[in-house]
Amino acid sequence: MNVNKIYPWYFSSGAIVLYLLFIVAPALLGIYYSFTDWNSYSSEKNFIGLEHFRTILAGDPTYLLFIKNTVLFTLITSIAKTVLGLFLALLLVSGVKAANLHRMIIFSPQVLSFLIVGLVFKSLLDPNNGFVNVTLRSLGLDVLAQNWLGSLTWAMPSIMAVDTWKGMGYIMVLFIAGLLAIPRDYYEAASIDGAGFWQKLFRITIPMLMPTITIATVLNITYGLRVFDAVYVLTNGGPGNATDVINTAVYSSFAKGYWGLGSALSTILFVIMAIISFFIIRLMNRKVEY
Amino acid sequence: MRKRFLLSIAGVLLLSSLLLAGCNSGDSSEGSGKVTLTFGTSQSGIPRTGIMQTMAKEYEQETGVKIDFQVVPDAQWRDLIKVKLASGEAPDIFNVDVDPLSMPANVRPEENAIDLTNEEFTGRMSEEILPTVSYKDKVYGVSFAPSKIWYVYYNKRIFEELGIQPPTSYAEFKAISQKIKDKDIIPFYQAPASGWYQVLPLFETGPNYEQSTPGTYEKLNNNEMKVADLTQLKTVIEQLKEFADLGYFGKDFLSNTVEAGIEAFGQEKAAMLLRVPGTEKEVSEAYPDMKDNMGFFVMPWGDNQTIGVNPGGSAAMFGNKNSKHPEEVLKFFRWITEHDHLQRVFDGGEGNLTICWPEIEPKLTQDYIDYEKNHEKGTVMQAAVKYIDPQWMDIGKDLSGMFAGAMTPDQILQNIDKRRAEQAKVLKDDAWQ
Repeated sequence: MNVNKIYPWYFSSGAIVLYLLFIVAPALLGIYYSFTDWNSYSSEKNFIGLEHFRTILAGDPTYLLFIKNTVLFTLITSIAKTVLGLFLALLLVSGVKAANLHRMIIFSPQVLSFLIVGLVFKSLLDPNNGFVNVTLRSLGLDVLAQNWLGSLTWAMPSIMAVDTWKGMGYIMVLFIAGLLAIPRDYYEAASIDGAGFWQKLFRITIPMLMPTITIATVLNITYGLRVFDAVYVLTNGGPGNATDVINTAVYSSFAKGYWGLGSALSTILFVIMAIISFFIIRLMNRKVEY
Repeated sequence: MRKRFLLSIAGVLLLSSLLLAGCNSGDSSEGSGKVTLTFGTSQSGIPRTGIMQTMAKEYEQETGVKIDFQVVPDAQWRDLIKVKLASGEAPDIFNVDVDPLSMPANVRPEENAIDLTNEEFTGRMSEEILPTVSYKDKVYGVSFAPSKIWYVYYNKRIFEELGIQPPTSYAEFKAISQKIKDKDIIPFYQAPASGWYQVLPLFETGPNYEQSTPGTYEKLNNNEMKVADLTQLKTVIEQLKEFADLGYFGKDFLSNTVEAGIEAFGQEKAAMLLRVPGTEKEVSEAYPDMKDNMGFFVMPWGDNQTIGVNPGGSAAMFGNKNSKHPEEVLKFFRWITEHDHLQRVFDGGEGNLTICWPEIEPKLTQDYIDYEKNHEKGTVMQAAVKYIDPQWMDIGKDLSGMFAGAMTPDQILQNIDKRRAEQAKVLKDDAWQ
């Protein structure tokens, strides 16, 4: 037996067994269940083909709303986290005082559970006694006080804002690492050539940061598509179904005992993520030339 | 080398099997050999006073059997217990809100619950509660619940100051609400953030629909009519929306929770509140100024004047058939249903005035007795019409959507019918085939 060929398998065998057992097998089972009428009211599992997929994609407009909400949430929070993360990173590497302290403060929400963050923001955004509205009213800005989590207009933007606040610190740290890896020589040469701040930003910083931006985008998109806790804690999908996303619908289907339907929703989410990941991986593999 | 490799593989497989065994471990015994019974319940499934926990500690001292309470918020428990039962991870004792229509589907008693039919205590429970904890002539649950009635409680002082009387029609209800609102007091406390509370007016007034068109419940159960055809129900939904739009629930009421209702009512920020008998005790204990300041009337949405009675609807305890300690579960049930212990549960609760054990003297005041004498009674819709109760939280969500402007009353009714059809299909109900 060729030991060199076996050795990589030998080292990874444990991880492979666990991965197959806890990730691949349940995923495959989930896909199988999405083609059945499996539910909590009976021990039977009958194969029903694409019926659940037809219900989700063609039969019930509510599910399309959940898909739309998920995509919208992903798109907006990804852009917001990337832009704000980059802005903060640029600020903190530009020689601002107490940069490490600021970095720690901005990053700290990342280590908190969304349950805690959500409960805190639920209290802050309470329309009657919440800090946000009380402050606005005390400043005479009553017109700006809103029912942040209870109105159709503000509920989704509020969730997006809280999620962005929580997640931008992590993206900022990635960008700081990327910025510190850019050789100073480029900036010095550009300064000698008379380049200004914006020219340096768009001609040096952003192109050199492209690999980091790609990683940040992948992380933001995969997180955004999987969002559940932010919505569940802050609005539970309400008012009505206004802020429901795919994963809250999955939770709701499973909770009601409609497990086949919940599995079908998860499968659709899996397919969406697989397609997006495919394109992002292709993008990442492209060579960046300067 | 090869030997080491094989040993390593064997080690990995052993680790995996240990992990799997760990995942499957649901043993509720402690290492010392002492038995611990897990007791899963929603928040409102046991008295908020903590009397059950106190009694469980005494039971532990007496018998050495510990009861470990796992209390979950109401909105999550209904769903969570279903998943736990299906995955075989349900607690040794579990509470489920029961009614005769949905209990069999929600609990699947033949598979999940210990048969209590031959226990001495089942013969002492009231006849009214037995159908809600029974299936195919077998008794599976133990309940302490009273027959539930929801009244509108009002602040007598505010009513007297404004010269207004308890309403007997929707028009009167609206008129007094406007007068209260004009005094900068919230006329009626509504709590959509809790998910279920705003649904009560729709189905607690069900006897009104049945009395005006006898046979309505039966037609709905036989799928001979749709919920969307219930014009009176639509009227109630429209009136709730009107109340919201007119500001009678207060500003930004969508964030209100049921728990905060007692505070709003006790501090006289809200003049009316939908609650169950016994509310006077709970409110006056927290707000002594409110003592003797509370009256009640039947909810007048849709001009309803009938008292809606839910014979079940509250939590009942079930013993997990797949528990490792079924005998200990039975022993606990026998202990807690001894006469003196029942009395303690009743007395130590947060204010229920009745309990479903005839041997325990009810505490209904003359006001309630007289009121019930002067009004007709009927069974609420969720206890008499199939597939209403299981979608309670969904309807709550739809109503919140309507208050926020995202849905119309017609859409809410259509959604109710759609979800009824979904569940009937899952349960292979002949009437929907």
